[in-house]
Amino acid sequence: MIPTSWFLVLGAILFSIGVCGVLVRRNGIVMFMSIELMVNAVNLTFIAYARQLHSLHGLIFVFFIMAIAAAEAAVGLAIFIALFRHRDTIDVDEANLMHW
Amino acid sequence: MNFDATDIVLSFVKIGIVLATMLNVTPIMVWVERRGSALIQDRVGPNRVGPFGLLQSFADALKFILKEDVIPAQAHKWLYTLAPMFGLIPAVTTIAVVPWGKPFVIPEMHVFGRTLFEGGRLFEPIIADVNIGILVIFALASMGVYGLVTAGWASSNKYSMFGAVRASAQMISYELALTLSAVGVLMASGSLRLMDVVHNQTGYFVLFHVIQIPAWNVFPMFIGFVVFSTAGFAETNRLPFDLPEAEAELVAGYHTEYSSMKFAMFFMAEYMAMATMSALIVTLFLGGWDIPWWNEPANWIGFLLSALAFGAKVSFILFVFVWVRWTLPRFKYDQLMRLGWKVFLPLALLNVVLVALFIAFRWI
Amino acid sequence: MILEYTVFFVFAAIAVIFGIVVIAHRNPVVSALSLVASLFSLAVMYILLEAPFIAALQVIVYAGAIMVLFLFVIMLLNLQKTIEPRTHPIQQFLGWTGSAAFAITITYYLAKGAVILILPSTPFEASARTIGISLFQAYLFPFEMVSILLLAAIVGALVLSQKLRPQVPLEGAEQR
Repeated sequence: MIPTSWFLVLGAILFSIGVCGVLVRRNGIVMFMSIELMVNAVNLTFIAYARQLHSLHGLIFVFFIMAIAAAEAAVGLAIFIALFRHRDTIDVDEANLMHW
Repeated sequence: MNFDATDIVLSFVKIGIVLATMLNVTPIMVWVERRGSALIQDRVGPNRVGPFGLLQSFADALKFILKEDVIPAQAHKWLYTLAPMFGLIPAVTTIAVVPWGKPFVIPEMHVFGRTLFEGGRLFEPIIADVNIGILVIFALASMGVYGLVTAGWASSNKYSMFGAVRASAQMISYELALTLSAVGVLMASGSLRLMDVVHNQTGYFVLFHVIQIPAWNVFPMFIGFVVFSTAGFAETNRLPFDLPEAEAELVAGYHTEYSSMKFAMFFMAEYMAMATMSALIVTLFLGGWDIPWWNEPANWIGFLLSALAFGAKVSFILFVFVWVRWTLPRFKYDQLMRLGWKVFLPLALLNVVLVALFIAFRWI
Repeated sequence: MILEYTVFFVFAAIAVIFGIVVIAHRNPVVSALSLVASLFSLAVMYILLEAPFIAALQVIVYAGAIMVLFLFVIMLLNLQKTIEPRTHPIQQFLGWTGSAAFAITITYYLAKGAVILILPSTPFEASARTIGISLFQAYLFPFEMVSILLLAAIVGALVLSQKLRPQVPLEGAEQR
């Protein structure tokens, strides 16, 4: 059995990679993928603590997070499609108007 | 988890048997497909190489190996090379969780003064008896799309690209119906382990206190069976759902640019995915290795006969795959989507409701 | 024991390396495929954490459905040839250094302060059955809410991605 802290460290590193992606990239879809990476890092932490504390609540949270991530992906990608239709790009710097 | 050398050897034996079967599926199915299409179209078919053209497939394999392996100048080299492997790996690995015979106890043996299988040992004809078997299958089946998408994208060819886009949309749409139609089976057996699913189908349904029919899932959930099989055709990209490679519109779609062994790997992946899908249909709906109206003895005779029965059922479904391919025309893309979302999804849900009613009334 | 550690370190390395490829590669398709590899190795982590059901869900939902959707959109919008210009040098620098500092700090404190080396002695029972019972008893209301949320997401995605109708009024519309 691998100690829980190893998983926590892995989750922390993946979360930082996701943060970095959101900060440095301008491509909307890659930023979105970085957010998914962050969500997954949190999932890993949830499951690591669930095993440590012998509790199913962590797993159920991961279950809900996955469902919400699916909804988020559908809506987010639809927003990017709409943005691309109007602006011909998904560079988030170009989306600087509240309406057009 | 404690295992000894005997377990490891038995595992290798099982993996060897399954792998050898899976690798031989492709040449045999290519021959069946050609002769079957000839039969349906009233032609002769390949009959020059070997008796009945049986060695034609091996001649083809030789040709594939000897051809030049071309990588297009504009292609993304890494992904272009990796794509056939992405396609092949899920097709080969899925079969690991499918049981292919009745478990039996290997009796103690004395060979050259050494005792083998001390005190008898249970031989389960399944490579990995995991307790989430069905989910593993759906997980690996959903990974199969990456081979097509990567191939289509990495080729830098507009037809391949269209094939990839179609493949991703089609796979997502039909995966939903595929998964939902298998839910009824899970409800009936109360387990995700495929061994339990098969054991649940070994009894009888008694109709009107007289007629005994085998307790196969196909009888109470016929709708689920039809939806699952059809969605299985779509998942394996076979006609009438082979839009990602529609040769008339997309000049072979995602594998237009592929040649030599890379193309052969796509070919193998397609036939192995077909064999796996047939094994799944048989395991989930047609009783797996169960022989109807006969209680197999739990020894090696029962094991051999049940494994043969499993093979016979899988072969029949594989023949149906070929039969359908040479009988039905290809769907249009909008028809495909409409069928998946507006017909199969509600039907799969209806199947779930019906099975729930059956279970509530204790009919199954 | 040694086998578990080998599996852990190999797949942790895969997860981290492909995670870096996701944010560093300029081609969105390569990014998406790397993210698939990263998510797949996280599923292996879940198996090591004795949650095989969640691992299967991870592969089915994330690697199998969400990422295919990403790839589909990237290919549909034909984004693979767009090269992102290097802009905002200060933000780039702060982003890299800031997140690296964040990673180092949190790893340091996890390794130093909150080390959890004592493991529970009994095995953790997280099969599909126990999760299902918990989900349909204690968490029934959130579960139903999630279904409504998914429905709302479907409708929202349809509304957002539909083509706008032409704004030109129909002929003879003014006379009425």
